Amino acid sequence: MNNSFHHIPAAIDLYQEGNLEGLNIEDLGRYLKEKTHIPFRLHGDIYKGIPEERVEAVAKEYARIKVKDPGKKFNLGSPLQAEIDYEKRRIRDPNWRIFGILYEGVWYQKVILGLIDKGEFDLNRCSILFTNQLFGTWDRDNRRYHARVSIYGFPHLISTTGLVEAPAKPKEFYLKRQMGVPVEFLKEEYQGRFLDHGDLRITEVLKGYAMQALFFHLSGEPFCEDPDCRLFNSHWQEEVLHAQIDGQYEFCPRHEGVLNELRNHSI
Amino acid sequence: MQGGGGRKEVNMVEKKRIFTPVSEKEVTRAIVDSFARQFIEYVESDCLIIGGGPSGLMVGRDIALKGVKTLIVERNNYIGGGFWIGGYLMNKVTVREPGQKILEELGIPYEKAVKGLYVADGPHACSKLIAAACDAGVKFANMTIFDDVVMREGNRVCGAVVNWTPVQALPREITCVDPIALEAKFVVDSTGHDACVVKKLEERGILKTVGFGAMWVEQSEDLVVEHTGEAHPGLIVTGMAVATTYGLPRMGPTFGAMLLSGRKGAQVILEKMKKV
Repeated sequence: MNNSFHHIPAAIDLYQEGNLEGLNIEDLGRYLKEKTHIPFRLHGDIYKGIPEERVEAVAKEYARIKVKDPGKKFNLGSPLQAEIDYEKRRIRDPNWRIFGILYEGVWYQKVILGLIDKGEFDLNRCSILFTNQLFGTWDRDNRRYHARVSIYGFPHLISTTGLVEAPAKPKEFYLKRQMGVPVEFLKEEYQGRFLDHGDLRITEVLKGYAMQALFFHLSGEPFCEDPDCRLFNSHWQEEVLHAQIDGQYEFCPRHEGVLNELRNHSI
Repeated sequence: MQGGGGRKEVNMVEKKRIFTPVSEKEVTRAIVDSFARQFIEYVESDCLIIGGGPSGLMVGRDIALKGVKTLIVERNNYIGGGFWIGGYLMNKVTVREPGQKILEELGIPYEKAVKGLYVADGPHACSKLIAAACDAGVKFANMTIFDDVVMREGNRVCGAVVNWTPVQALPREITCVDPIALEAKFVVDSTGHDACVVKKLEERGILKTVGFGAMWVEQSEDLVVEHTGEAHPGLIVTGMAVATTYGLPRMGPTFGAMLLSGRKGAQVILEKMKKV
């Protein structure tokens, strides 16, 4: 193995959860292969083939890891039956469209890890789940939970809802919303300046996030400080759109070099 | 001449009178008698709805249309909760798609604001919904406040203890007014953010709620409808009380979820009563 990389995966496994409106996962897989020469495999719905007896247990796990007060450190909850029933309906419907609950991201990752067949999961494979559910992580500095687009690790989680909700929209958007202007009006007024659910740009934008996941796998460092590089850790919607769509290049010279090295290694 | 002239004057007055003369005592008897007959009849009902806001009214209207004997308990004099006004005290109410279908069904005029969002006059929408509930056969106990739950074997909720709302406002020395109990096959908590009935179960250690989540996304409306249902045997939770019970995100001032949650609550009750 080359010294620049910790682990070069033999394959990239792509899973999905819920209705991922706006995301063409096959197109995204082809992009990853083109950039890295690492083959990808589409697994489809993460819950495909889950035995009925496990549905209740997994549903209960999800119901326990909801962040109900973002200002307080999360504790595992004791869910009500209706909350477990909600999760069961969500698991059973591969086209589930409802989101808005904030889950504890690290625990969510553990639940997903438990769902990936042990035979398929090893460090030679880079597993990425694309989900329409929302998760967050605790920020030690300002002591509250923040919604996230992605959590990198084993497996990697990337959320389409997180992409819409986590990076901040223009400040005026929030001020006007506080004044009572309906969100639908604001979406028209600020059209194009942030990503919305079902946005046609989602596939293009998430290609960059999938590359961040891959870089985490390769080197332990998913981000770049260059705001024009797809690996930039954006906090604002306008930064996301710039890094992923309008930047002066796809990857900064340094990361382009790493990708060249990876492609040469994979040949 | 004088006497004859007097009779003529009386006749003129009688001809000018619009309303039939009725004594005060008859007015009082009519009120007491009508109220008492209805109250006695509804001391036991099929469904007792606590809270007469949009979701409670919607539950009541839908189940009463199917012949379910329904009483709505409302702590205020007025029915309708927050449905009279939208955000910032402005009397326009908004619903997201597909909430406008219920507006259509109730004959409430509305207009499209932007894609997927519709706006109606609060007073028109609210009065039509109240009228629809009344027309369906729902009865009301307004100025009546929920005090406690009535429970039976297996901790099933089967009624509510209520009192006059003004009792709360009286000086302590004269508030020794005992409440009374109403029984029902099902109780609905549609008391909004307060989730009064659910909170009472929590006080008794029977149910644990989690309060509001933050206002993360607009999708909270879907979540409220999805979580609407039986939270405890005999207790159906609808509307904003659902968000409080399950710690769902807060919502902005749109009412589609209240109407659809009410409809779903009604379906749950009807299924359980085998009336569907």
